[in-house]
Amino acid sequence: MPIFLTQTLAILQKDLKTEWRTRERLSAMAFFALLIVIIFNFIYEPGSPIIKTVAPGIFWIATAFAGLLGLSRSFAIEQQNDCLMGLRLTPADPGAIFLGKMLGNTLTMLILQALILPTLVIFLNLQIAQALPRLILPILLGTLGFATIGTLFSAMSLNTRLREAFLPLLTLPIFIPALLAAIESFRAVLEGSEITDWLVLSSAFVALYIAACLLLFEYVLED
Amino acid sequence: MHQKPYILPLVFGILALICLGIAPYLVFVYAGIEKEMGLAQKIFYYHVPSAFSMFLGSFLCFVFSIFYLWKRDKNCDLWAACSAEVSLLFGTLVLITGAIWAKPIWGAWWVWDAQLTLTLILWLILAAYHMLRAYLEDPVQSARFRAVLGIIGFLNVPFIHYATKLWRTHHPEVVRGEEISLPPDMKAAFFFCVITFFALFFALLFKRVSLAKAQNELESLKAEI
Repeated sequence: MPIFLTQTLAILQKDLKTEWRTRERLSAMAFFALLIVIIFNFIYEPGSPIIKTVAPGIFWIATAFAGLLGLSRSFAIEQQNDCLMGLRLTPADPGAIFLGKMLGNTLTMLILQALILPTLVIFLNLQIAQALPRLILPILLGTLGFATIGTLFSAMSLNTRLREAFLPLLTLPIFIPALLAAIESFRAVLEGSEITDWLVLSSAFVALYIAACLLLFEYVLED
Repeated sequence: MHQKPYILPLVFGILALICLGIAPYLVFVYAGIEKEMGLAQKIFYYHVPSAFSMFLGSFLCFVFSIFYLWKRDKNCDLWAACSAEVSLLFGTLVLITGAIWAKPIWGAWWVWDAQLTLTLILWLILAAYHMLRAYLEDPVQSARFRAVLGIIGFLNVPFIHYATKLWRTHHPEVVRGEEISLPPDMKAAFFFCVITFFALFFALLFKRVSLAKAQNELESLKAEI
């Protein structure tokens, strides 16, 4: 196995293990997402048909906001006991550290989404059982895109005076095109229409930003 | 050595001033009044060149950011930050003039049109860039992070463009590829305004850079004491 991949998997394994031992991040994220889904129900008339058209938006807002909550901890936990310094001192490639962290965040967010979808079915009376297979790819691409830029900015925002609170200010403007693609393709799947254009957009977004972040992460980690 | 930085802003400043004096004549007297939109169309001569200047500024920020990470030259960071700042100024102008034009023509201050949304998102990214600068303390780290955001932010432009295009389009397309669909008098006035705004852009940029350099010098002198 190439050394880069081994390093990536080691970081990923470390992150998943620490998360699994406490499940601190995931439970906070899931609770926050549930709150968002429920609060959105108060904005619209109960049972109004608008809810069907805004459901994809609610899903992605819940994912993105709860995701930001999780992402902000992604590097904050490394600050305890100077773990970030430890990571820097390992012979691991900065790109591998980034990729491992990013994949860990993606997996956490995918678990989160698996929890959000049923709440949408329950609270918004959304029928998604049939559309589910076609939903997987756009959701996966949207989540990968979000985790990619979110992980990069998570490491950056820690050094600002606002610390983790600065993360959304950097992540959200950059995420808008991918968010648009994610919401529109979700809606198109529910309506049964074509989503190829949106998939091309989100795949290109993911590919370009993963490449850019692999190259640029070195400069973020540097001290 | 100390006199040199003041020449460029002065040259471009005078050029911009002269052009800004001539431009209203070309816009209001020389160029004809557009049939459908009437006088409201006149704002186009300021709106579109501002948009060009905004994109030029973001592009310069992108290029200087790459050079900063590559060469680690403090000046590159300075130029990137100043380009982004001037770009933000022109972006604000684009959004304001766009809204003034949209009210009589589209009947609303804001319409979620593809190009408007593109400008707005780019403006948000530029604003985030300045926030980042304001909220970081260590100057070297700040420069590095800014360069990373400058690159990541500019890479976003094609995605915003494509996404908003797919999403919706209302905008009048004036410049379609090579072909410009304008009568000759309007075309002349338009090109003159583009030159004017580029002169203004560079005048502001050079001035801002020399100001930032003076600021840095003052800081280092203060540190010496």
